[in-house]
Amino acid sequence: MAEIILSQDALASNNRAASHNRQLFEQYGVLVINVMSSPGAGKTTLLEKTIEALGDRYRIGVIQGDLATQIDADRVRARGASAAQINTHGVCHLEAAMVNKVLPQLDLEALDLLFIENVGNLVCPSGYDLGEHHRITVLSVPEGNDKILKYPVMYLRTELVLLNKIDVLPYFDFDVEQAIEDLRTINPKSRLIPLSVKEETNLDEWYQWIDEVYARWPKAVG
Amino acid sequence: MSHEVALMGDMLNIVAEDMQKHGLSKVEKLKLRVGTLSHSVPDALEMAFEIHKAMKAPILTEDSALEIEVEEARAQCVICGHEYVPDHRVALCPNCGVPGGKLIAGDAIRIVSYEGV
Repeated sequence: MAEIILSQDALASNNRAASHNRQLFEQYGVLVINVMSSPGAGKTTLLEKTIEALGDRYRIGVIQGDLATQIDADRVRARGASAAQINTHGVCHLEAAMVNKVLPQLDLEALDLLFIENVGNLVCPSGYDLGEHHRITVLSVPEGNDKILKYPVMYLRTELVLLNKIDVLPYFDFDVEQAIEDLRTINPKSRLIPLSVKEETNLDEWYQWIDEVYARWPKAVG
Repeated sequence: MSHEVALMGDMLNIVAEDMQKHGLSKVEKLKLRVGTLSHSVPDALEMAFEIHKAMKAPILTEDSALEIEVEEARAQCVICGHEYVPDHRVALCPNCGVPGGKLIAGDAIRIVSYEGV
């Protein structure tokens, strides 16, 4: 029998679903940011603080990806954002189709900004386009600065690294300069912002980044 | 691991769709090309293939075979044009020492071809 040449990207169907999501987001004028990290780096707390700080400026929604439970969605709802929870039931990352399925739970017309909090994992989430406009990664001090070189694909595909928990820097051997240098050797276009969500240190630089990308976004003008 | 199982499921769906067009129903051999900087490893994909067999995926039989070709990652420096095999510091050009390298191969998983009946 003959060999049939397909030559297709394994992620072709995910990529199609992602383009569909992106079209929807653009139609409704929602800027979407995919937030990735290891478990426990502080994604949900970051989003809670961000909603509190920017809630007057932007109408914010959050999609929470977790293996199980509604805990995270409840946390951000308590801060006044609209939230939808995806439980992946064991799958280690979010896929575009999972995001699409929960979109009816959010009133896209009433949103300016949508954060998608990915499953805590530094490997697979980086491979899946969800239809977002920006990708950021939260790295926390206790994880160590070697994570950047150990998970290059994650950092290759992220444009902003938020280095969280800098309040505990005195207790860990985390070399911030080395982290910035390593990040540059993987992805020279990305940027690192050191901050502490808990102590509210340097959060303004992160908020400024959001303002910048939102202002730059063509849809925000029309 | 659950990642490769899901990914293999997606790939089998793509193949199944194409097989229908050709009036085929069972895969004899599936050929993939897996980049060293994709987020999957051949061993896990092979195991995922076996899991889908065990779960009675409609287009697989006991004898369906998986062939994986590994694609080495390649980067090219945008400053000096040098092509190189990147280590973890993907963008760092070994020729000019400037982090100006862009990945040009090895970050994807492709379904190359299949043979079916």
